[in-house]
Amino acid sequence: MAANTLETIRNIGITAHIDAGKTTTTERILYYTGVSHKIGEVHDGNTTTDYMEQERERGITITSAAVTCAWKDHRINIIDTPGHIDFNIEVNRSLRVLDGAIFIIEGVAGVQPQSETNWRLADRYNVPRIIYINKLDRTGADFYRAAATLTEKLGINWVALQLPIGAEDQFVGLVDLVEQRAIIWEGGELGAKFRYEEIPADLKDKAAEYRQNLLDTALSVDDAAMEEYFDKGDVSVETLKRCIKKGTISGAFRPVLAGTSFKNKGVQPLLDAVVDYLPSPLDVPGIKVAAEEGADESEDADRRIIKVDPDAPFAGLAFKTINDKYGTLTFVRAYSGTAKSGDMLLNTTKGSRERIGRMFQMHADKREEIKEVHAGDIVAIVGLKDTVTGDTLASPEDPVVLERMAFPVPVIDISVEPKTKDSVEKMTLGLQKLAGEDPSLRLRTDQETGQTILSGMGELHLDIIVDRLKREYGVEANIGAPQVAYRETITRAHTETYTHKKQTGGSGQFAEVKILFEPLERNKGIEFDNKVVGGAVPKEYIPAVEKGIRAQADTGVLAGFPTVDFKFSLIDGKYHDVDSSALAFEIAAKACFRDGMKNAGPVILEPIMDVEVTTPQDHVGDVVGDINRRRGMIQNQESSGTTVTVRAHVPLKEMFGYISDLRSMTKGRASFTMQFHHYDPVPRNIADEIMAKSA
Amino acid sequence: MTRLRWTRGRAGDGTGEEPAAEWIGCDDAGETIARVVRLQGPLWTGWRLYRAVALDEEGRVIRLLPSVPEGAGWLAYIGGQVVGRADVPLKAVRAAEAALAG
Repeated sequence: MAANTLETIRNIGITAHIDAGKTTTTERILYYTGVSHKIGEVHDGNTTTDYMEQERERGITITSAAVTCAWKDHRINIIDTPGHIDFNIEVNRSLRVLDGAIFIIEGVAGVQPQSETNWRLADRYNVPRIIYINKLDRTGADFYRAAATLTEKLGINWVALQLPIGAEDQFVGLVDLVEQRAIIWEGGELGAKFRYEEIPADLKDKAAEYRQNLLDTALSVDDAAMEEYFDKGDVSVETLKRCIKKGTISGAFRPVLAGTSFKNKGVQPLLDAVVDYLPSPLDVPGIKVAAEEGADESEDADRRIIKVDPDAPFAGLAFKTINDKYGTLTFVRAYSGTAKSGDMLLNTTKGSRERIGRMFQMHADKREEIKEVHAGDIVAIVGLKDTVTGDTLASPEDPVVLERMAFPVPVIDISVEPKTKDSVEKMTLGLQKLAGEDPSLRLRTDQETGQTILSGMGELHLDIIVDRLKREYGVEANIGAPQVAYRETITRAHTETYTHKKQTGGSGQFAEVKILFEPLERNKGIEFDNKVVGGAVPKEYIPAVEKGIRAQADTGVLAGFPTVDFKFSLIDGKYHDVDSSALAFEIAAKACFRDGMKNAGPVILEPIMDVEVTTPQDHVGDVVGDINRRRGMIQNQESSGTTVTVRAHVPLKEMFGYISDLRSMTKGRASFTMQFHHYDPVPRNIADEIMAKSA
Repeated sequence: MTRLRWTRGRAGDGTGEEPAAEWIGCDDAGETIARVVRLQGPLWTGWRLYRAVALDEEGRVIRLLPSVPEGAGWLAYIGGQVVGRADVPLKAVRAAEAALAG
């Protein structure tokens, strides 16, 4: 693909808080760009991007659907992403591979908790973004107040490119501050028709003030534009657009647009902004290769960067897999080179080979077969055997491993068992496939009860998975009540020695291990270090020691929860020429773990949630009192008009059933959101309860 | 408001194509009347680290601050006096011209 063609590609995401209008905006985009011939509505369950049955029934987006459309000679690959926190993984992996994003915020509420979470995620991946303040037709909508929350809650430097004309049900159009004109939508034809006019007289002063701010901010990123301004007292539209694009890509400021997608006003200028201000694959710096094994990616700044180059060897990142009736579809973002159907590539993450089968460009659930994929584009590949989300596919000429993806920690467990015995195999296969698609879903077997435990991001997340198990794999399952995903860890270093000796006639079993257990920081997982010197434990038995500890760590010593965030170092041991074996060392390691952990100050950890409750002022006292009773710690309280937003950290255990308590406490007038924040040790009395329950 | 003719002055650290760290406002006779300078840093003075430093036309320090004040990364500077502060250079230019107009 030639560079000039690459310039006309935009890989963008649309992201926001739940119900801010992402899918509705996408539907309008598809209509105006000619992909669909009628507009689907979320409430009618006939949108293009929400194609899963559950999405249509529930009116929410669960998976990221990739859609390709064209606008003003540009190809726009759009990923529509879910707003509910339970599906945050989808937002995470989309932002990772996209070049730009539209951030939608609601005209009434402004920045909401999920907008904040997604904003921080986009910061992590340096995604250039434009902000679209939507739903300006709603009662209570206020463009200026919503924009002010960008400063208050996100602390960003934003600049308005448009101002609304009229408000709420009188919202009729926009002042375009770049071209200095008004855009008025005419009724009918689903917003396809609009006309340009002079800026209304009552908005001229305000428009001049905001345009001056736009010039001040945008021109500051480009000295030549400043000189043009000093020479002429103004700049051309082209110069201003060039500066806005430069500032958007560098993150010097964030452009703000306005509209109401549902009432079909503002979407065409939003598409213009995508083309004018969001980067093409050539405008972004490229992707870093992965850090060395064990190194911290955030600290390793000097890693090689793979630039978007169609002539370089192929490198692409798998960012999503889905299973449908045709098999496994793997979505890949190509960063360099070209790959053709039939090519052999390396999965450099796993060290295996993959043959590229058929390739498709996706239009939600419809697909168009293509023969080759070029740097900068997004493609769905059928038939990859080993490749899962986060893996790199690269040409054997330059077998790079691209920067890895970070996945959130699951916080809720449920037990699942099939209703009939003959479905066991089908259920295991189905769950394995679903877990393969979704890295925020974990699957394990409880070693004591033999039950299959599913861990996910929330009740809704697990509910959808169980529903998919039934619909897609035909497995009816009994589900246990949702349980908090407790973890165990240690609080002090301890060295334990264990000798495994067994003599039952014939060759016996002998292995001795001396292991140092040390606590690690939260979220560091489990680390292993082999410090044996002088062959005290032969090399061939060392993997068995590691395997034994890791397997035993799934069942903690206090209440059987997985043990995390510790390091174990094999420092010494003994073996016998005849009686030692890998199995004997594995058994010794497991027993050493059980004994050692008990002496290393074990504690139970519980997930602590970041909870935000928005309530009318009259009920603040009740809400705060109730949060305190739930072992919550109030973080802050903010008033906005007649409502107060209370932010607190509350243990997840105390949040089950909160929605109904909140409703009865506030007569249904308050709402809340929550998301995982961190793990903390549980208080002694709660730990005793948990241990008694598990005994 | 007095209008000056503004031209690019010193760039970032004087290497490559750094963005301008200084804009010079001249009168019709070409005399330098005002300067708009970006606070730069850090600067170690031997006993304290300053994160924000403004330099005059000869590179001498005209303003030392422990850190860049919010919304004030640029200083408008006339005849040895700081007459205004702004987050972007164009606003500082207007502050300088407004100060000249009295």
